[in-house]
Amino acid sequence: MADEEPVDQKKYLEDGCKPKCVKQLRSYEACVKRIQGDESGHKHCTGQYFDYWSCVDKCVSSFICLEPQFG
Amino acid sequence: MIRIRRGHQVYQQVCASCHSMSLISFRDLVGVAYTEEETKTMAAEIEVVDGPNDEGEMFTRPGKLSDRFPQPYANEAAARFANGGAYPPDLSLITKARHNGQNYVFALLTGYHDPPAGVTIREGLHYNPYFPGGAIAMPKMLIDGALEYEDGTPATEAQMGKDVVTFLSWAAEPEMEERKLMGFKWIFLLSLALLQAAYYRRLRWSVLKSRRLVLDVVN
Repeated sequence: MADEEPVDQKKYLEDGCKPKCVKQLRSYEACVKRIQGDESGHKHCTGQYFDYWSCVDKCVSSFICLEPQFG
Repeated sequence: MIRIRRGHQVYQQVCASCHSMSLISFRDLVGVAYTEEETKTMAAEIEVVDGPNDEGEMFTRPGKLSDRFPQPYANEAAARFANGGAYPPDLSLITKARHNGQNYVFALLTGYHDPPAGVTIREGLHYNPYFPGGAIAMPKMLIDGALEYEDGTPATEAQMGKDVVTFLSWAAEPEMEERKLMGFKWIFLLSLALLQAAYYRRLRWSVLKSRRLVLDVVN
């Protein structure tokens, strides 16, 4: 087909939502910096990562809602 | 309905190589996702072991509407062996078998991201923040353009995710729409009946509730 590449809707919404979640993104980046030199392998940034992604998910879900019926 | 059809195409082309759906038969699709002829043709493409015949031997024949969906592996052990020890779960009831099933499956399928800093996943597993524990054996399967829909809809990741979740929800709860309509109807009717019963009870009891009792002195 000669159409341009279809843009994945979810990625598009996630990119649009990134500005809303800058605070979480910054705190994640700060964590990454903090644990950079870590050798023990026990330090990780899962908390900040989850905060960021749940913020993005909430924002994305405000744009879409999975209909309960079999549309 | 068209979404269930597309979802079935996603299942068949992307998922069926590892995931069984052993509780669904081809005839369940008739009238929902495909016509009877289309479903018969689809069923006839697979080989089914049947028998024994008059000579006592098992034989293979093309599939019929009454056959269940084909299983990718003969048993759980074969499935685990082929997938590095992990068993791809049967998907017939998956949206009911997971909390918030529809949203969970969609998020899982479309939510493969890089792991957070400090988290390493061993060889053979993949990071998925929605999977409990974070390390899932299934790689990211829904990739833009992974398949061509029959009806020409662009096959983006989110589109395939939503279609396959609709298909899986239908497979787990085909009666959902009818059940909910029945629920609305009967809850409405029974609440009318409740109001009527409450009124009638208060009407009959009003005689006693409006009694006056007097304590008096006996002279």
